[in-house]
Amino acid sequence: MFDAIDQPRAQDGRAPDVFRPGAWVQMRCYDDSEQVDFAIVGTGAGGGTLAAKLAEAGFSVVAFDAGPFWRPLEDFASDEAAQGDLYWTDERISGGADPIQLGSNNSGRGVGGSTVHYTMIALRWRPDWFKSRSKLGYGRDWPLSFEELEPYYEEAEESLKISGPVRYPWGKRRKRYPYREHPVNASGLVLARGCERIGIDWSPLPLATLSAPRGMAHPCVYRGFCKYGCSTNAKQSVLVTFVPRAIAAGAEIRDLAMVGRIEMGKDGRATGVSYNRRGKWRQQKARHVVVAGYAIETPRLLLNSACPEFPDGLANDNGLVGTHLMTHSGPGVWGVLDEEIRSYKAPPCMAGTEHWNYSDEGKDFHGGYAFMSQGPLPTDWAQTLAARGLWGAALRQEMTRYNHTAGLVLVGETEPQAHNRVELADEKDQYGLRIPRVTFSYSENDRRLIEHGRKSMHQVLAAGGAHQLWDTHDTSHLMGGCRMGDDPKDSVVDADGRTWAIPNLWVCDGSLFPNSGGVNPSLTIQALACRIGDRIAEMAKRGELDR
Amino acid sequence: MPKPVPEPSRRPLIAVGLGGIAAAGLIGAAAWKLWRRAEPADPGKAAERGLRAGAAILSLAVLLDSGIEHYRGEFKNPAMFVAPTLALATLGMTAVEDEAAPYVFSAALAVGAAGVGFHSYNIGKRAGGFDMLNLFYAAPLGAPAALSLAGLFGLAAEHPGIAAPARIAPVAALALLGTAAEAGLLHFRGAFQNPFMFAPVTLPPLAAAVTAASSVSPEAAQVARPLLLGTALLGIAGPIFHSYGIHRNMGGWHNWSQMILQGPPLPAPPAFLGIALAALGLLPALERRG
Amino acid sequence: MSGFKTPYPDYDVLKKWDTPSWNEQTRAVIKRRLDEIPERRFLSEDEWTLLEAIAARLMPQPEREAPVPIVPWIDEKLAEDRRPGYRYVGMPPMREAWRQGLAGIAGEARERHGTDFRDLEPDAQDALLGAVQRGEIDGRQWGDLPADRFFSELLLKEIVAVYYSHPAAWSEIGFGGPASPRGYVRLGLDERDPWEAEEQHV
Repeated sequence: MFDAIDQPRAQDGRAPDVFRPGAWVQMRCYDDSEQVDFAIVGTGAGGGTLAAKLAEAGFSVVAFDAGPFWRPLEDFASDEAAQGDLYWTDERISGGADPIQLGSNNSGRGVGGSTVHYTMIALRWRPDWFKSRSKLGYGRDWPLSFEELEPYYEEAEESLKISGPVRYPWGKRRKRYPYREHPVNASGLVLARGCERIGIDWSPLPLATLSAPRGMAHPCVYRGFCKYGCSTNAKQSVLVTFVPRAIAAGAEIRDLAMVGRIEMGKDGRATGVSYNRRGKWRQQKARHVVVAGYAIETPRLLLNSACPEFPDGLANDNGLVGTHLMTHSGPGVWGVLDEEIRSYKAPPCMAGTEHWNYSDEGKDFHGGYAFMSQGPLPTDWAQTLAARGLWGAALRQEMTRYNHTAGLVLVGETEPQAHNRVELADEKDQYGLRIPRVTFSYSENDRRLIEHGRKSMHQVLAAGGAHQLWDTHDTSHLMGGCRMGDDPKDSVVDADGRTWAIPNLWVCDGSLFPNSGGVNPSLTIQALACRIGDRIAEMAKRGELDR
Repeated sequence: MPKPVPEPSRRPLIAVGLGGIAAAGLIGAAAWKLWRRAEPADPGKAAERGLRAGAAILSLAVLLDSGIEHYRGEFKNPAMFVAPTLALATLGMTAVEDEAAPYVFSAALAVGAAGVGFHSYNIGKRAGGFDMLNLFYAAPLGAPAALSLAGLFGLAAEHPGIAAPARIAPVAALALLGTAAEAGLLHFRGAFQNPFMFAPVTLPPLAAAVTAASSVSPEAAQVARPLLLGTALLGIAGPIFHSYGIHRNMGGWHNWSQMILQGPPLPAPPAFLGIALAALGLLPALERRG
Repeated sequence: MSGFKTPYPDYDVLKKWDTPSWNEQTRAVIKRRLDEIPERRFLSEDEWTLLEAIAARLMPQPEREAPVPIVPWIDEKLAEDRRPGYRYVGMPPMREAWRQGLAGIAGEARERHGTDFRDLEPDAQDALLGAVQRGEIDGRQWGDLPADRFFSELLLKEIVAVYYSHPAAWSEIGFGGPASPRGYVRLGLDERDPWEAEEQHV
């Protein structure tokens, strides 16, 4: 696994074949001086997906990732501690009244981004959330409707062969998931039992891990290390789906290549990117630049690319870059069961309820939340107990109840607030780039939502048979920072991800989100990327791309 | 309709499928030759032989399948030993002449039916009840019926007077439909990821329809033979396909201790062979009725 | 700590070493963890032994003749400056935080008891650590370091992470351990694969 960190693997006309140990696939490579159609910064849910779409549409594409190009079958050990390199661990400063835990919690580093270690939950936005201001009276409207994104949800689900229930209880009537649901593990069954006893719906979660073979990818073996890299390729991460597609369609993936700056021409258009690979700064020329570094690195790169024409950072004339950062509140409730749970088996989150995403009855707050069953592995679990204040003999004894513990964790919507934001600190990282400072505080509404969610989870978990319940608090996911909108005055990009200020500069990742919804964001990011890919191809056909 | 999305990787599924069919064809042709060579001239004897062979194969399939599945279920309920034990006894009774045979076959008939009841009770009490999740992964609803069928075929072989071929043919047809339905459910669970997974949900129902018709129409009986032979072939091809399925899962056969349980079930498809053989045995009698 | 009981006294996850549950890459990682304990590189001798004394209270293993090594792995992480990817406002970078934090605990012991932390009775050590956890500290010993945050975000978190990365710890909690290529089949309530730990009901 270690050579992937030291040496680029994708170069000299070839890239790792993620499906065959030791094998390579041919990859088209571009010269730095060759002006490619698109330079994409980041290869995760946004950038990796878009790279495939654009390459398949016939554009020349180079996609950069600061991290390595893993070979999942060979590199990934079944071990929490050994897999730390999957996360973005460059220094960041986290502040505000409710500072967010960054690092392994919500970042990825490497080709495929955080989809390499995500929990694979693939849920659609509640249709109303796209117009939450006009329909539900809070948050912000998207410049898109659910109906506009719906075919792209379907495309993303098809591309990932989502394994989902035959009947999903919530949302608009939908086409059947490409693959069937997985069996639900014990911790999921506790949630199911609890929900049924209090009379609300639950469902096996649609997951981006295979329940049946697909090409060279194996179906899931329920090994439970999903958050530490899938060693079987059952997980339909971008690394084993869109990235191979992108390469097959002629895109170049450049691993261990940290983009530090977007280069600007005198005409106010981007001319390419400066990136650091093997300790050397180089420049790639491009007709268009897409930033897809997720909600912290995307604003950071735009801000770090400030130049005389754009002294406050690129696309930041209205000062909105980095603002309205959102996370999902993640209070957790845990308890002990008489039965053996052994939640280390199978994907961590197999069952969930979106009841409070779709039912607004009796809420004393705006917004929604889902909660899911959980499957922490030992060090993760020990740290959770430590955060509860346990240590010494008490902690060690409590850990022996690991196999009898089950819990629920919320994915709670938070409001977009201007003061929750990404800025640049004065401190610099190993590349000499200013590091990001992230500020986050919950709103009053966020807190009421958390309280409500906590009560619901207590109810369900107790009804599910757990006793001695106790609480944790955490967050998950990041969204916003370069929000999309209809009005150049109060958004950074338009509905196609194109920055208002610079016509050949685009954003394609979770930072586009105007609101945060109450479900995991990756599927929506990938649907957006699929749509942006199609939109760019359409615009190119009509000659509107190089306006 | 959504646009088809490009696949990130491919396997030569068609070639593998054709190879599996070819291998099954070779085995099947050799077996069929032997079977035909020893075919009794008397249609009644032919029927008895077919039913006995069918009962034997079904018993063997149930023995292995319930043995493996109940092992997966950790034999939590002592009643879980009943099915494999009885299947073994049934298998024995098909091989030797024994006066206990009718009792064993009757017991198989009854226990199979009780098994369906047990399994539905088990599904009903789970979270989700009779939803797809439990139909996919909980105790299989229809599987115990195969034990009943083995018992029934065994009894029919012993009492040709009561169980005339014309009466047994519709039962065999129903059994084929049931088995096809179970294969359909499980292959649906597998998202029909390999086109050959459609075979057991297309050919056997067709064979079932024509077999049922054979009880009233000798012409249908003639059409039934090739369809039943095809169905029998599926019963042989199935385990070949399924062993490839285990091979292509994570860890392949090296990971047998997981994949024998989680991979495609090896002993399930031979149920088609058992039923088809029984039905094939009935055909000479049915053909002559006209 | 004499009272520590595991429900899995007969389970040893290492017995699965040669089974399909373990693959080459995992064996390589765990082999290193068991056999190649890092030498001291970052901490001073004094800091090292202090941290050992602290770890012995936060993660006590009195029943083990050879306790699971903790400090060497923390030292290695510090030597390689492998950071968690963020630090809270008010916290210095990781290495400084550890240096300041250890000095804080040492100073706190001298201030309160007039002696070295290592020489305190276990109860007194526990009481002192509890005070640090709650932030009830003498500000002069800590500089600008928030003691409670150091305790929970770095000190305790790292110590438990190192301990529960060790196969001996997996065995005592009945964790299945490495699982590739073989994962699990029996996923439901009270269901156990033959290659999982069997709980002893007492």
